[in-house]
Amino acid sequence: MKYIKIYFSCLHTAFSRAATYRANFILGNFITLLSNIIFPLVTVLIYANGAKFPDWNMWEVLLIQSVFSMSTGAASMFCGSILWVTMDHIREGSFETVLLKPIPTLFYIVAANFDPESIGLFLGGLVMTVISALKTGVSGAENILSFLLLFLSGLAVISGMYLIMAAISFKWVGNSRIPEIFDSIKSFGKYPLGIFPRSIQVLSSLIVPVAVIGFFPASALLGRPHRTAFISVIPCFLFFAMGIWIYDRMIKMYEGVGG
Amino acid sequence: MSVAIKAENLVKSYKTYKRGSGFKETVKSFFKREAVTVSAVDDISFEIERGTVCGILGPNGAGKSTTIKMLCGALFPTSGSIDVMGFSPARDRKKYVRKIGAVFGQKSQLIWDIPPVDSFAMNKAIYGIADEDYKKRLGEMTELFDVGEIIYKPTRVLSLGERMKCEFIMAMLHSPEIVFLDEPTIGLDVIAKNKIRDVVSEMNRKGTTFILTTHDLEDVEQLADNVIIINHGKKVFDDTLSSLKNTLGSKKIISLTLSKPYEGSSIGGAEIISRNSEVDISLEVDTSRQEITDFLKSLTSHVDFRDISVKELPMDMIITRIYTENQ
Repeated sequence: MKYIKIYFSCLHTAFSRAATYRANFILGNFITLLSNIIFPLVTVLIYANGAKFPDWNMWEVLLIQSVFSMSTGAASMFCGSILWVTMDHIREGSFETVLLKPIPTLFYIVAANFDPESIGLFLGGLVMTVISALKTGVSGAENILSFLLLFLSGLAVISGMYLIMAAISFKWVGNSRIPEIFDSIKSFGKYPLGIFPRSIQVLSSLIVPVAVIGFFPASALLGRPHRTAFISVIPCFLFFAMGIWIYDRMIKMYEGVGG
Repeated sequence: MSVAIKAENLVKSYKTYKRGSGFKETVKSFFKREAVTVSAVDDISFEIERGTVCGILGPNGAGKSTTIKMLCGALFPTSGSIDVMGFSPARDRKKYVRKIGAVFGQKSQLIWDIPPVDSFAMNKAIYGIADEDYKKRLGEMTELFDVGEIIYKPTRVLSLGERMKCEFIMAMLHSPEIVFLDEPTIGLDVIAKNKIRDVVSEMNRKGTTFILTTHDLEDVEQLADNVIIINHGKKVFDDTLSSLKNTLGSKKIISLTLSKPYEGSSIGGAEIISRNSEVDISLEVDTSRQEITDFLKSLTSHVDFRDISVKELPMDMIITRIYTENQ
């Protein structure tokens, strides 16, 4: 209860911060949304020109990509800033001010750095998911439940990845290009898994389970869950747990134990 | 009086990498770096009593900030122990930091884009301060600092002085028993400095213990009961402010404007410590060895002068001597 109160208080400051620079907030949301919407447009173009992904119609592929946008939006809303915030604190030597707060450090950083600029992406993704779901005729409580489980796993893998990258910045301050690597791997989750060679299928479903960000939850929603979908839930939460563990280790190291 | 802080044989050493300058060295350091262990704090012990103001002095890089960070619980000591009100700061950090406050002159704890009052509200939630206490405390503090209107303006538009006052409020809303101030008056004008000093004295009178690092000796002269001086990671002085003033003996500085130039290096047993011009000189007299009246008698018999002033040894001179003696 106490932590919920703290979270909402931090959320409040995040929004008043966004409200200070209203134009930037609106424009930021718009640009993030736009750059992520252009991608599904490519899909529409492909299908409009008679080409297609085997076994998937246009609305089904759009559903995958909408779920992907929604998931990315939600994850970066909740903990997308952690990487930059950690890096800034380490570079400027101001991490002590975070350590002075009488609450768990990671919780404080995540709560205090909610990113309202990703709301647009999340909502845009949500709207498109609903539209695509209606067009493809999604039904069945079971499908929706599996979708929710896989969607949460997708959030876990992205958040875990953010945490790991943020943790690396304790030791390696100038690693601003690392997120780009993850972004490239992440895009495997935007397409039907079947179009990739076998090795990439294994990589993106079991090793770095990025398929769980878009493809797995969308196909579960369509009632055609991929056979490895539910196994990949395990590495997703492993990533999340590992992220928290490494970040925690790095805080301890920063304080000067075991480092 | 009871002891609030007790530090024993405190050591903090860092591992850094040696890196040469120049292109060749830079290329070399890309592949192989030589690790060097540096002791920022080297075997320091001290006690600070509850309800006092303790000034920690030392030149840049002496280990003051590292000491403060260890006392705040942000850093684990490499060895040695710290006991603050029964807590081991770094080990019991989450429970401990609730009892303390800290103001870092160079690192802001306020959120840059929003008014301080919004940052205060966030701290209210984080520290779980009850509504009534919060209102009362905020009212008191804003009145003490005279910042009633200012706390509603965005932090980024505040002057440095206004912001520092708000940093103090941020650090003291939860009524901490001990407050650490790391260079709190750095870069402030005289009026803002005085205001901050007044508030610190006022809070101290009500029972708050303050630990203060500073380069501004006026802060120490006006606030501190006790002074600890650190140099090269070692403690070189730890006593009351008045004994710091007497540490170099009871010495006085005598400034003279002579009638005609004087060439020697001493007059009547007193050494000339500075020459501003051919006729403006300053002497240092040790009054424990020579009565001041005896000295003045011998002075008048040696030289003619048009003007004279007698002063206490200034603090900065005392500190400079202590710093350089321990190089």
